Amino acid sequence: MAIQVSGITKQFGSYKALDAVDLEVRSGELLALLGPSGSGKTTLLRIMAGLESPDAGSLQLNGEEALGLKPRDRQVGFVFQHYALFRHMTVFDNVAFGLKVRPRGQRFGSAEIKRRVTELLELVQLGHFADRYPAQLSGGQRQRVALARALAIEPKVLLLDEPFGALDAKVRKELRRWLRKLHDDIHITSVFVTHDQEEALELADRVVVMSQGRIEQIGSPADVYDHPSSAFVYEFLGQVNRFDCTVEDGVARIGNGALSIPTDPAVRGAAIAYVRPHDLGVSPAAGGPGRISGVHVVGPDARVEIELAGLSLEAEMDRERFGALGIALGDRCAVHIDRARVFAR
Amino acid sequence: MVAASSTDTAFPRAGGAVTSILRKPSVIPGFGLTLGFTLTYLSILVLLPLGALIAKAGGLGWSGFWNAVLTPRVWAAFEVSFGLSLVAAAVNAVFGFIVAWVLVRYSFPGKRLVDALVDLPFALPTAVAGIALSALYAPNGWVGKPLNELFGLKVAFTPVGIAIALTFIGLPFVVRTVQPILEDLPPEEEEAAVSLGATRGQTFRRVVFPAVLPALVTGFALSFARGVGEYGSVIFIAGNMPGLTEILPLLIVIKLEQYDYAGAAAVGTAMLLVSFVMLLVLNLLQTWMRSRHAR
Repeated sequence: MAIQVSGITKQFGSYKALDAVDLEVRSGELLALLGPSGSGKTTLLRIMAGLESPDAGSLQLNGEEALGLKPRDRQVGFVFQHYALFRHMTVFDNVAFGLKVRPRGQRFGSAEIKRRVTELLELVQLGHFADRYPAQLSGGQRQRVALARALAIEPKVLLLDEPFGALDAKVRKELRRWLRKLHDDIHITSVFVTHDQEEALELADRVVVMSQGRIEQIGSPADVYDHPSSAFVYEFLGQVNRFDCTVEDGVARIGNGALSIPTDPAVRGAAIAYVRPHDLGVSPAAGGPGRISGVHVVGPDARVEIELAGLSLEAEMDRERFGALGIALGDRCAVHIDRARVFAR
Repeated sequence: MVAASSTDTAFPRAGGAVTSILRKPSVIPGFGLTLGFTLTYLSILVLLPLGALIAKAGGLGWSGFWNAVLTPRVWAAFEVSFGLSLVAAAVNAVFGFIVAWVLVRYSFPGKRLVDALVDLPFALPTAVAGIALSALYAPNGWVGKPLNELFGLKVAFTPVGIAIALTFIGLPFVVRTVQPILEDLPPEEEEAAVSLGATRGQTFRRVVFPAVLPALVTGFALSFARGVGEYGSVIFIAGNMPGLTEILPLLIVIKLEQYDYAGAAAVGTAMLLVSFVMLLVLNLLQTWMRSRHAR
């Protein structure tokens, strides 16, 4: 089911959470709403679910106006950051809840409910946990119960609010892959909210980057990472070196000309240049302008900090390359920029 | 993947060699000191007077004890005290829950005032409450007169009056036990219920109420226990007719005034036993409910 958001605006007191947001969620896709806290991503998700109502704008689910519909009539599955499982119910009863509260005419018999719940619990790999209470499960297991519970009502759309936010790093990664696989299997239109750019880039078909109640950019993960449309997006997606610079005749000069980058001649005057750490090259040079001020080798990667003309730079490379360069703390070095983006101020 | 990981931690390993049945190894210091203090304190404050009471009653011997307790007058007073305390606790459970609900869920002008009002029955001397209630509900009182004229309902000097007095003094117990639980109830659980298709009624019945029930039972038990022991506020409105509106505490006082100390102790002991059993049952019920969804 496709979702069409048009001109949605939401104000909390004097704080504008959403400012005339337009967005189309395509049928069957897995879409990430990515942004820092306070960017309005969760509010947008809650408006789609009907848990919050906007001040203005319209929301269409499959071409039909949905703002007038109650949450329970929207056929939307919602997964909360902190699971929100019913504490006094077993895993089975949690998953069965949505089926048991159906109006009398549409309710399945108890044998059919049991069959469906068992099937869902198998799907989320918790078949043996039906009789447990949520308190007896780990965080990752609880979130999978929450997912099974949301899927039980056969929703047309699945909305997930920071679904991995409360989990530790390892479980988060596992669950992320598992969710991607699940989505590939059942192809339900899904929207998830996250502040973790790695999560959004790895999991989503398309990423919506939000900031201060507005959408900054919509695109595929590769698209938003390689071609960020604004300084905010560049800075938000991944590590970055940020320099103040001045642009003259298509060349951005950084640190009084210690570094220069060719740029779009349309940009003039004061600007900001961004260089990703892996686009910054380092080579040993006896009389070079830079000095190695820090070296951190973590797992397969090496992070090198460089001081150059009063600037602090960060370069990233794989461990082998770092070893081949043969540089050490305190050495002089030269720096070259493979790729950069310059945004006018 | 993560499926098996949680079971590993379910059984804490037994620590060093000196692990006793009573004491699990813990980093929290002061176990011996605090347990010792607690037992001594409770013994002096609670067990000693209760023990003295039972010892006094024991002076009668078994047959003397049963003779003192199994009289129609004492039996009737038992029914009045325990029966009406249960009625009052039940009324409080219903309306106290509503008061707590309103105080937690809605904001309205004067909310803090209402909140403070709930505690007044705690603070007011019970005799003052009793006199005020009997003045109100007497056949010529502000409330008693219209009730009598319109519905033919006599309140003061009947069991209804006793129930009203017991309800009055028991209200704060239910409100104050339910209120914090309602406040801590995560709104997400209700939102989850709604997004899963539940109506408001279903959400309340299946999600909110079960979560609050253990606290409600606690409030009920406290309100009930308070009602059984209540004296001051009841004796003015009760009329104190033996066999009809005479409560157990009053009967004990009457026995004391007649210098029947052992008889008074016997009735007191019987009361103690019944109360203890009822509270124990309520406590077990609660433990069972809580154990099902301990965090």
